[in-house]
Amino acid sequence: MSPGPAAPTPLRALWRPLVDENPVALQVLGVCSALAVTRSLATALLMSAAVIAVLAGSSALISALRHWIPRQVRLILEITIIASLVTVVDQVLAAFFWDLSRELSVFVGLIVTNCILLGRAESFALAQPVHLSVLDGIGNGLGYAAVLVLVGSVRELLGRGELLGHTVLATADSGGWFQPVGLMLLPPSAFFLIGTLVWALRSARPPEKGEGP
Amino acid sequence: MAEPTGPRTGWRRLRDLPDDSPRKTVIVTLAVCLFCSALVAGSVVWLRPHQLAHREREREARLLALAAAVPGLEGMVSGLGEAEVTARVVDLDTGRAAEGIDPDTFDAQEEARDPERSRELDPEVDLARIGRRPRHATVYMVRERGDLRLIVLPVYGAGYASTLRGFLALAADTNTIRGIGIYEQGETPGIGDQVQDPAWLAHWPGKLLRDETGALRIRVAKERIDPRDPEASFAVEGISGATRTGAGVTRIVRFWTGPLGFGPFLARIREEES
Amino acid sequence: MSDAFALFLRASLVENLALAYFLGMCMFLAVSRRLGTAFGFGLVVFIVQAVTVPLNHLIFTALLRSGAWSWAGLPEVDLGFLRLLTFVGVIAAFVQVLELVLDRYFPVLASSFGVYLPLVTVNCALLGGSLFMVERHYDLAQSVVYGAGSGFGWALALCLLAALREKLAYSDVPEGLRGIGITFMVAGLLSLAFLGFAGIELR
Repeated sequence: MSPGPAAPTPLRALWRPLVDENPVALQVLGVCSALAVTRSLATALLMSAAVIAVLAGSSALISALRHWIPRQVRLILEITIIASLVTVVDQVLAAFFWDLSRELSVFVGLIVTNCILLGRAESFALAQPVHLSVLDGIGNGLGYAAVLVLVGSVRELLGRGELLGHTVLATADSGGWFQPVGLMLLPPSAFFLIGTLVWALRSARPPEKGEGP
Repeated sequence: MAEPTGPRTGWRRLRDLPDDSPRKTVIVTLAVCLFCSALVAGSVVWLRPHQLAHREREREARLLALAAAVPGLEGMVSGLGEAEVTARVVDLDTGRAAEGIDPDTFDAQEEARDPERSRELDPEVDLARIGRRPRHATVYMVRERGDLRLIVLPVYGAGYASTLRGFLALAADTNTIRGIGIYEQGETPGIGDQVQDPAWLAHWPGKLLRDETGALRIRVAKERIDPRDPEASFAVEGISGATRTGAGVTRIVRFWTGPLGFGPFLARIREEES
Repeated sequence: MSDAFALFLRASLVENLALAYFLGMCMFLAVSRRLGTAFGFGLVVFIVQAVTVPLNHLIFTALLRSGAWSWAGLPEVDLGFLRLLTFVGVIAAFVQVLELVLDRYFPVLASSFGVYLPLVTVNCALLGGSLFMVERHYDLAQSVVYGAGSGFGWALALCLLAALREKLAYSDVPEGLRGIGITFMVAGLLSLAFLGFAGIELR
C-alpha cells in the first residue's frame, strides 16, 4: 500500500481506486460492512453514500492537517477525526432517512473501523495535497460503492425479485414465474458473491507478484 | 522593515516545530478535539428536531399499519367523525386504567427493563418467553358513535429466531379476533417472515380465542384446516416450513389474552359492556 | 444461570460476529493463514471483547445514555451520540494497556503477536460488540456474558477458518480464486453451517 513515486493527476487519483486498486476486491479492505448491508439495494446505496462522504471528509481534513499532526499521536487523531465524521453522518441519516437508517443499525457506526479509511489516511492523505486526497477518498468510496451496489442488486433481485422495492421479477407467490432464491437473503450468499467477484476481477486483472495465496 | 508577525506566522512556527515537541502535540491535539466536538455537537443539536419528528411519525405509522392489516378497521378509523380511537394505559394485573400515565409518552419496553416497574415471569407461565413483563401496557379502543367496536392490544414475544411484535384486534365481545398485524420480526427470510405477510394475516379474522368453557383454544395449526371442522374456528392455518414461528405466534397470542396478559383487562371490558 | 448460558451460545454460535454479521473480516482473512497465528489473535480479541463490552456498558449507563445525568439535575441530557468516539477510545486504551502488560510480564507472547496487537484496535468485531450491546439494551451481567460469548465465537470462527485454509494448501485452487477468493468461499460454507445453530433452545 505504498504511495506512488509522484503525485497522481486528479483523474488518475479518482480512477485508480475504482478498478485497478479496488479497495474491496483487490485489497480486501472494508469488507466487513460491505457484506452485512447488501440485503437490499437501497441499504447498499445509502451505506455507500455514507462511506463516500466520510472518506472524502476525512481525507480532506487529514490532508489539510498533515504538516501539523505529530507522528506519535497520528493514529489517535486520525481515529478521532474519522469517528467524529461518522457520528455526524449517522445523525444526518437518522434525521433524513429514518427507516433505512434503522435497517443499517450499527453498521453506519462501524464505518469508524472500516479499514479503507485508515488505510487511505495513512497511505495517501498524509502525503498528498488536499484536492488530490479528496479525489482519492471519493475514488475509493466509489470503488467500495461499486462492489456494494453489485452485491446488493444481485441479492435483492434473486432473493426477492425486487430492486429498490419495486418488483422486477414476478415471484411465484404473487402469481408470477420466478422462484426466489432464499439463500440470497442469508449471510452466506454475500460471502459467495464476493468470492465470485474477486475471482472475476483477479482473472481479468491478475495481481502483481508478491501477493501469494 | 518590520518583521512579519500575526497569526499566520504563529501557525507556521507551530507547524515547523519538531514532532516530539510536547507543545506542538498538546496544542494540535487540543485544537483537533475542539474542532471535532464543535462539529459533532453542532450537528446533533441541529438535527435533533428532525429525528424526534421521525420517531413520532413512526408511532403513528404503527397504528396506521395495524389499521391496514385489520379489515374494516382502516375504513372505520379513516372515516372522520365516525370512529374514535382512544389510547389508554392499563395496569395489567388489575385490568384497570392506570392513573397519571400519559399514553403518548409511555414506553412499555423501557418499563419492562426496569426491575421496579416490571415483574419477572416463571418459565412455566412465560409462554411468550419475554422474561420480564411490564406492569402496564397501552390499549387502543375504537368506538363508533360511542359503541365499542374494537379493542387493539400490543403483543410481543419470542418467535423462532427473533422477537415478534404486533397488534391483536378483538371485537367488543373480547373473544372474536378481528385481525392481527405483525410489524416487527426477524424470522427466516422467505419462510418464517411470511408471518408479516398480509396474505397469511388474512386467515385470522373471525377466529375465536376461547370456547364456551372459557378455555383458551386459539392456535396456529400445523395441518390443513377443514372449514367444516368445529375446531376450525380456533385454528389458523400455519406457514409451511415455519412450524416453530407459528408456534411462537400461538404462544404470544395465548399469553397476552391469558391471565398474565390482558386477561384481567378483557374481563373488565366484558363487565363494563354488559 | 441458563439464561446466561443461552445468551453465551447465541452470541458465539447463532449470531457469530464473523459468520453472521461479517464483523472483523479484514483481519480475519489476513490472519487466518496459520492456525497458530489465528489462535493467538483470537485469544487477544476474546480478552479485549470480554473486558471492553462490560466496561463500555458501565460508561454508557453512567455517562452517556438519556437520563444518565439526572443526579446532577440534568435529566434531559442524552449523550448517546458520543458512544462511537467513547467506545473506540476505550478499546484503543485497553489494547494499549494490554500491550504494556504483555511486554512487561509475557514478553515472549507479546513478540509472537507482533504487529497484530495494535491492529486489534480497529477490529470491527470489537466496536460492533459494544454497539450491539447498546442496541439490545443488555444489563451489566448480560454484557459480560455477551462480551465473552461474542469474543469466543469470533475466535472460534477464526480458528476454524485457519484450520481449513491449512488443509486447502494442498488443493488445486484455480488461479483467480487463490488467496482471498477461496477464503471467502470457505467462509461462506462455514457461515452456512453456523446457520444450523439457529433455533436451538435450552430448557
